[in-house]
Amino acid sequence: MSQRQLAMVMDLNKCIGCQTCTVACKTQWTNRNGREYMYWNNVETYPGAGYPKNWQTLGGGFDEAGDLQAGVIPSIQSDYGVPWDYNYDELQEGKELVPNVEPTWGPNWDEDEGAGAFPEDNYFFYIPRICNHCSNPGCLSACPRDAIFKRDQDGVVLVDLDRCQGYRYCIAGCPYKKIYFNPKISKSEKCILCFPRIEKGLPPACAQQCVGRIRFVGFLDDEEGQVYKLVHKYKVALPLRSDYGTVPNVYYVPPVDTPPKFDANGKIIEGSNRIPSSELEKLFGPQVHEAIKTVQNEKQKRKQSGQSELMDILIAYNHEDMFRLDTGYYQSLGLNQSVDNRYTAGKYASKLKFFAPSKEAHK
Amino acid sequence: MKKLLGLLLANLLFAFGLNASEPIKAMKVLGNVSNLTPDSKAWLSASFSEVMLYPQTALIFFDKIANKMNANNEAKKVEIKALYDGKNISFLLKWRDATRSVQKTDSSTLYGDGVAFQFAQNYDNVKTLPYIGMGSEGRAVVIHLAKASEGVYEPNGKKDVYHQVNPANQNLFGKDLQTYEQSVENKKESEYQRNFIAQGFRSMTQIRDENAKIHMYMQYKNGFWEATLSQPLKTEYLNLDNGAFPIAIAVWDGEKKNRDGLKSLSSWISVKLVGKSGGDKLINSLSAMPQGDIKNGEKIALENCTACHRYKNEHTAAAFMAPNLSNIGGYATKEYLKESIEHPNAVIVPGYNIKAHPNYPWYTLNQEGKRVSTMPPYDWMDEKSKNDLVAFLATLKEGEE
Repeated sequence: MSQRQLAMVMDLNKCIGCQTCTVACKTQWTNRNGREYMYWNNVETYPGAGYPKNWQTLGGGFDEAGDLQAGVIPSIQSDYGVPWDYNYDELQEGKELVPNVEPTWGPNWDEDEGAGAFPEDNYFFYIPRICNHCSNPGCLSACPRDAIFKRDQDGVVLVDLDRCQGYRYCIAGCPYKKIYFNPKISKSEKCILCFPRIEKGLPPACAQQCVGRIRFVGFLDDEEGQVYKLVHKYKVALPLRSDYGTVPNVYYVPPVDTPPKFDANGKIIEGSNRIPSSELEKLFGPQVHEAIKTVQNEKQKRKQSGQSELMDILIAYNHEDMFRLDTGYYQSLGLNQSVDNRYTAGKYASKLKFFAPSKEAHK
Repeated sequence: MKKLLGLLLANLLFAFGLNASEPIKAMKVLGNVSNLTPDSKAWLSASFSEVMLYPQTALIFFDKIANKMNANNEAKKVEIKALYDGKNISFLLKWRDATRSVQKTDSSTLYGDGVAFQFAQNYDNVKTLPYIGMGSEGRAVVIHLAKASEGVYEPNGKKDVYHQVNPANQNLFGKDLQTYEQSVENKKESEYQRNFIAQGFRSMTQIRDENAKIHMYMQYKNGFWEATLSQPLKTEYLNLDNGAFPIAIAVWDGEKKNRDGLKSLSSWISVKLVGKSGGDKLINSLSAMPQGDIKNGEKIALENCTACHRYKNEHTAAAFMAPNLSNIGGYATKEYLKESIEHPNAVIVPGYNIKAHPNYPWYTLNQEGKRVSTMPPYDWMDEKSKNDLVAFLATLKEGEE
């Protein structure tokens, strides 16, 4: 356990699956140097196989006795999907548009497919996923080199690229499959919760860019913060698959008001719910019913009295209120220097000189 | 008659327990051996010694598929020869591998074949050689590792931002883009070779010394890998310029997803610098068979060890409670076995991350923060019992594949 813990809450009722978070993360961190296939942030359709394919069945995590379980390491070719591009250049020569790699799977392959029969009871919702920065990380426990560490000051889980030797047990040990193997440098890499931004008081890129304002970021022990209120005060935000035993620190407000089913004549079945409660229980545990009830009650309260702190938080009138990052705290730790400044080196990529060919670079 | 049969049986077990423990003879040559390759003619002047490598079974790791592939590994026979020129020493290792496996730069599931040579930093006292699995606290080892891998270039560590940008993200087109891609291609380093220093499993740290004159080559031919290691007899980290020194060897089979502890390894073997005096004590000790009553040793093991340790068909102990001893006779010296029985704190194998199997820590920390083994000392045992137990443990190893 770290001294303090940063956490993120995502309100699934507001996620529209636009992938702006995915793109924000990709352009910031994973569009280069062996990370091209990785999505540290992805938004997947549930129910669905997700990304990597069928990640929920690939093992890892802890059993009830607390023993870390063996897992399967997904393949870039069949489970993550090789990023493909098209031969745009050749179109002017009259050639047909063809991909350079035969696409067989990708990060959003089964988008909006969901389950059920249209129009009676089909349904789906989106789940954005980043590394859960767990309090008991499976990846960390699986590493035989002690190359993965959890920062004491905020609980961010990071890979020490110097110690990492590319054994990939971390990928097997993580039940969320949110740590990836970079085959170009033969090391594991993962979501770093944008720690260079966090330390400067900026929210992670995925949260900053979220158009639906679904993401709250803050310290779990900050009782004034919205994260604390959603997780501990109102208990409406729940971790994903907490049965894996890793104690995740990303929380989700579950889908609350789902549409009713239709009968054979296309008539609404009153009181029915398209999302089976068994599915919600599987993802968010038995507490999900209480959480849904709380949100519904507060919604009612707001309708009647015009007052509800919870509703005000979930509406998110001001985007900046969703992030309480406490720059003073980081400054007090003297964390002006990032732990691993190789990551921040990339920030200069926005400057033109690095995008133009230079004589120096071709040597 | 019964007694005679018992004796015969004991002798048989003795024979089974035989190690290929004759010293490797490093022949002195006039030429320079500071940078030999498997094809160097110099190798004709030395002959091969056989060494047995045993599957590492003390710990199991978390890759479900790899665990299945390696569940029934057997011992591997490898061949080694050595040459020295007075200043440098070179080793040639040859082993059979049906497939050439290479770690590729576009795959998350391929692993390369590999080889490592391990040396003890201090080998004055043959009774306290470093633990075979990457040394132990206060007993450092130096490891030279080579893996078959596709060329890689790592721009991040070199603060080379320009070359870490994806070609598709460069605003370059046509010839400029080709030039860029070629410049990335040119920067690839094709050899994966690393030097490490370690004081125990988990503590392995890379030596980043660009002036280190250590050369390794791997070559695959007709179903065999040949690998060479050439290095000065004296380096900043190591002094091999003695009559004899210990070496240990490990190989990885990429086809079976071998990496890290998923490997086959030898025990400490002595290398004799032919023509240089000294080192007899080390050679004799590493060549000598453990003396003891194997049958009685087995009885002692069943009474004293199986509550915590598993081996072969003995599965009474809880999983992950203590190192599995199934191949301990293959890669541990008899001195190490005896020391561990008498003083479990002398060498502490850190084993799993404490959070991976929290119910069975292999060590605890005392008030000074020093590791204390959870195994109780068996120093109370009489000398004969200890020797019998060691003789039995030395028989715990897989047969040859």
